[in-house]
Amino acid sequence: MMSGAPAVRVSIESSCERQVQEVSLDGLETYAPPLSMSQNLAKLAQRIDFGQSSDEDEDGPERDSREQWSKPEAEEDEGMVKFQPSLWPWDSVRNNLRSSLTEMCVLHDVLSVLKDKKYMTLDPVSQDPSVGKTPQVFQLLSKKKSLATAAQLLLRGAEKLTKSVVENQEQRRQRDFNSELLRLRSQWKLRKVGDKILGDLSYRSAGSMFPHHGTFEVIKNTDLDLDKKIPDDYCPLNVQIPSELEGSAYIKVSIQKQSPDIGDLGTVNLFRRQAKAKPGSQMWHLKLEAAQNVLLCKEIFAQLSREAVQIKSQIPHIVVKNQIISQPFPGLQLSISLCHSTGEKKNQRASPDKSKPDDHLYVLEHNLHQLIREFHKQTLSSVVMPHPASAPFSHKRLRMAGPMAYDKAEISSLQQSEGLLEKIIKQAKHIFLRSRTARTIDSLASRIEDPQIQAHWSNINDVYESSVKVLITSQGYEQICKSIQLQLNIGVEQIRVVHRDGRVITLSHQEQELQDFLLSQMSQHQVHAVQQLAKVMGWHVLSFSNHVGLGPIESIGNASAITVASPNGEYAISVRNGPESGCKVLVQFPRSQAKELPKSDVVQDGKWTHLRGPYKEVHWGRMEGRNFVYKMELLMAALTPCP
Amino acid sequence: MGVTCVCQVPVSEGKSVQQTVDILHKKLEQLGAVKQGNFWVDCETYHATGNATGQPSKLLYVMHNSETPLSCMALFEGGPGLSADANFDVLMVKLKSHFQNAKGHKVESRGVRYRYCDFLVKIGTVAMSSSARGISVEVEYCACVIPGDCWNLMKEFMQSFLGSNTPELPTVFTSKAEGLSVPVDCMDTMSQYLELFGRVRKQQVLPGSGVR
Repeated sequence: MMSGAPAVRVSIESSCERQVQEVSLDGLETYAPPLSMSQNLAKLAQRIDFGQSSDEDEDGPERDSREQWSKPEAEEDEGMVKFQPSLWPWDSVRNNLRSSLTEMCVLHDVLSVLKDKKYMTLDPVSQDPSVGKTPQVFQLLSKKKSLATAAQLLLRGAEKLTKSVVENQEQRRQRDFNSELLRLRSQWKLRKVGDKILGDLSYRSAGSMFPHHGTFEVIKNTDLDLDKKIPDDYCPLNVQIPSELEGSAYIKVSIQKQSPDIGDLGTVNLFRRQAKAKPGSQMWHLKLEAAQNVLLCKEIFAQLSREAVQIKSQIPHIVVKNQIISQPFPGLQLSISLCHSTGEKKNQRASPDKSKPDDHLYVLEHNLHQLIREFHKQTLSSVVMPHPASAPFSHKRLRMAGPMAYDKAEISSLQQSEGLLEKIIKQAKHIFLRSRTARTIDSLASRIEDPQIQAHWSNINDVYESSVKVLITSQGYEQICKSIQLQLNIGVEQIRVVHRDGRVITLSHQEQELQDFLLSQMSQHQVHAVQQLAKVMGWHVLSFSNHVGLGPIESIGNASAITVASPNGEYAISVRNGPESGCKVLVQFPRSQAKELPKSDVVQDGKWTHLRGPYKEVHWGRMEGRNFVYKMELLMAALTPCP
Repeated sequence: MGVTCVCQVPVSEGKSVQQTVDILHKKLEQLGAVKQGNFWVDCETYHATGNATGQPSKLLYVMHNSETPLSCMALFEGGPGLSADANFDVLMVKLKSHFQNAKGHKVESRGVRYRYCDFLVKIGTVAMSSSARGISVEVEYCACVIPGDCWNLMKEFMQSFLGSNTPELPTVFTSKAEGLSVPVDCMDTMSQYLELFGRVRKQQVLPGSGVR
């Protein structure tokens, strides 16, 4: 027993008093009932080793010596301990705890004494420097060796890492080729022939009948240096296109004055535009698109030249090398040329057309592309296929031509008789005629100020027909003088003019005809304006003629004339206007105002002096006024005396 | 497709078929008509075989017209008719066992086609096995499809160059149940030609008509 040490509480908990017999389904534990007294005794009795109790009897004579006695005593004690378990089961535990407590108290005392540092201190054991000292060389060598082993480990690890990275890159490149191939396949037709991958860039599946094969080959791009940095536009896939489709091409349609020298033909081979690379599109895509465009241009040109040779026309078309030349109008030349450049830097010939930048009719080039695509579509259209076995290959409606007894007009309206060349020539003619008409009207408008000519072009046009409305007006009098309104329908070769009064006139393509016609209309407008003005001013129209037969003959159109009388009848104005001879204005005065009057025996009454008598010409050029109608208004106003 | 009237012009006395045709051409050209190519109408006869009774077999006429180049018309005399594709001829060959071709009875009319504004005038020589038998004149007014509306105009026009040979209103129009206000058909033209060919076949061979 310790004395003076504070008691330490030790709490002991038994693990389990009773054993769990069963756990029912609802979690209730059923404990085994504790052993009763008799059961406990029985259990203990079973533990008795009756063999040992016989040893007790044999050790009887040895009881004399103490030492010998202590042993059997110990044994006896043990046996007795076995025999009497209920006396002190916690004895060993208590002893152990007590010894550990003792140790802990000792340690605690030592530490508390140490803390004061008065009676006890901790001191490290002094090292003998001469005993454990190693030479520096050895230290270096050992350090080196240890570093070397560490470095080797790291290097081995790094090697493994780089190997795995390289493998990844290789795999990625392999995967890149496949993914590129997938992308290529999603846009172009590919097929595998043997161990080559071939593709088709022709328009055959869209209905073209051009005999070119249009196959390209897909090759793997393996010329890549792994050590150098991979370029930005590197593509693991490359396409090889046929050599005749390399470069880029376009069809140039232009109208120019007839070239005097026939040797100039066939010299068009210029290249003017670079294909703009769309961001994100691969090089193979650009190459294939360019090759397809070249093929389409070749097909267009082949079709045009075939038609140019086959179709008979009044003026034959000339086909020279890569140009087709035809004459839509006399003095004009339409040239359709295929410009194919293989992408070389130098051009063989200098481009002579740089001075005329807008010579190329882009609209017609676009229309050619559209026409050939329409032609493709017709080969494939559902109008033709499927068709019954007995019907010929033609338009669906033509199958009914037999049973419905179509006559020739109806059949020809269903059938296409025009080829590509004819269509494009008609379109070119129309474009040329339209631009020339516009130029004529504009030049007239800028040259002549009185009367004014206005042109309102229609927004909605056809490839073969456009229309423009031409109004001839006088400035300031648009509301009252609007009798000349012309609707011009510009066709392929002719211009049809519809007048406001119902006349329909057909003009040819000559621009002089249109100009003469407009000039004659302008002169008629002046006289019409006088008629309208007379109505407004209250003057009476005595006579009016659009085409007078008197006076000098005009070379363009006819002169028109009008005579108007003042409200009170005293004065009269006569106007004669012709496109060439200009206008002539005469005023008729009453007889009373005439200077010299022939005296006559018959006319003696004074009332006859109120009649109108002689004429006097007006110096029209010296009249005040901005334009003809204004001057006329002033004249009329001057001749109408205030009441 | 307009109202057609087919009539036969008798050969002038003392003149051959060709000369009469030339006179008509000249008259039309003086009128101001424009030549517009040629035309032909032909007719083939087929016997229906395999008749149980002793009745004479019905004759089937297969006709072609250059105005409707892709069609073939087949009709019975006074009976129903049909217009079909050009493959009908091939079909008739296949039906050889039921319809036999009477080869010697092929009649055709060939000649010049004139156009005068809205009128189409076709003057043809009717020939049977290369011997000219008569003259057929067909006048078509393209602007109208109702015979009742334009018959007077057509008659007046025909009088201007046919003179006394102007025909009356063709029976195909008058015999229709619905009357003259029904639109015409290509079968009406063909029936008129058939009638004309029938009359020509029954005629004697014209004296002095040589091989065309």
